[in-house]
Amino acid sequence: MKKKHLRWLLPLAALPVLWLLYWGMGRDTYVLPSPMAGQVAPEFQLVDFQGDTLRLADMQDKVVILNFWASWCVPCRSEHPVLVRTERTWDSTEVVLLGVVYQDSKANAERFLAEFGGEWTHVLDPTQRTAIDYGVYGVPETFFIGRDGRISHKKVGPVTWELVRHQVDSLLAAPGAPATAASAGGAP
Amino acid sequence: MSRGAASLLILLLAVGPAPGTAQETPGATPSAQQTEAPDDTTGRSALTDPREAELDAQAAEVASGLRCPVCRNQSIVESNAELSREMHRLVRDKLAAGETPEQVREYFVSRYGEWILLKPQARGVNLLVYGLPLAVLILGFFLARNRLRKWAGAGGAAEAAGVVELGPDDEEWLREALREG
Repeated sequence: MKKKHLRWLLPLAALPVLWLLYWGMGRDTYVLPSPMAGQVAPEFQLVDFQGDTLRLADMQDKVVILNFWASWCVPCRSEHPVLVRTERTWDSTEVVLLGVVYQDSKANAERFLAEFGGEWTHVLDPTQRTAIDYGVYGVPETFFIGRDGRISHKKVGPVTWELVRHQVDSLLAAPGAPATAASAGGAP
Repeated sequence: MSRGAASLLILLLAVGPAPGTAQETPGATPSAQQTEAPDDTTGRSALTDPREAELDAQAAEVASGLRCPVCRNQSIVESNAELSREMHRLVRDKLAAGETPEQVREYFVSRYGEWILLKPQARGVNLLVYGLPLAVLILGFFLARNRLRKWAGAGGAAEAAGVVELGPDDEEWLREALREG
């Protein structure tokens, strides 16, 4: 009687293992689940190419697309035309596209932009503290921030036009109730 | 074999320095920086100031439990990736600012998720990781003990009687073998 129970116990025990293998092979191990989506976007204070200081707080009531990139990053090249299109599609009074140069020099970034175009603003993050604050582990990484100051989506890897349009449209449609940036608890 | 190793070494040397490491100081006005990063995580006055040395040791301890987001299977102490070194500095700065090691770890978890911890926290579903091996080990021990006892008991009884009972399967096999022979 006891043996009969054990007979189906073994294949049953194998099921979770098989499921684990199936799940493990089906997912992209490079992409990590981020806890940042839904959080209040960490405040930053970074300098652009002209030497002016930019703060996230200055962009309140606007939809912000924060794009971490570098001139040495190959996927950033394929992504660039989508960003150019993004800049052209929405007015900068409504949607702010901001590039954060990651582990790269201003000179290299400017050379890249001269070649590939785009008029939007870029800031430098030489200490990478802003990148760490956003949980960035590679480039490109893009954060969509609503008018309420919350991150609605984080994209690891190059963005597609479909994703940008969907994210921006839904963020523009959402009412902007500003969240208190203080609750983010970001680095000063 | 050695040629394979040599070509691997060459490949590693060629790929070696992460992109961007060559440009150590991207041009920026230092006045607007949030924090002055120290030149080195472990250098400075650690040799002369015991408090600095203690801070370094504490930072190294916390940092050794944090996963390098670039290389994935190294701690940020072992890793030479630029991001890891900056994270190590950040750990030290936070400790120097008076945060507890637990607060520093929580900060990194809040930004990168629990994945950043090399050792999963012993709570929630994670308890399975800690408890399951022990449970399986104990279960296996009792299973093995019962089996062995049964086998020993069955073998001993048959020997004592001097006969071995044939099952229906054995009987059929024997008949077949005799027919063929």
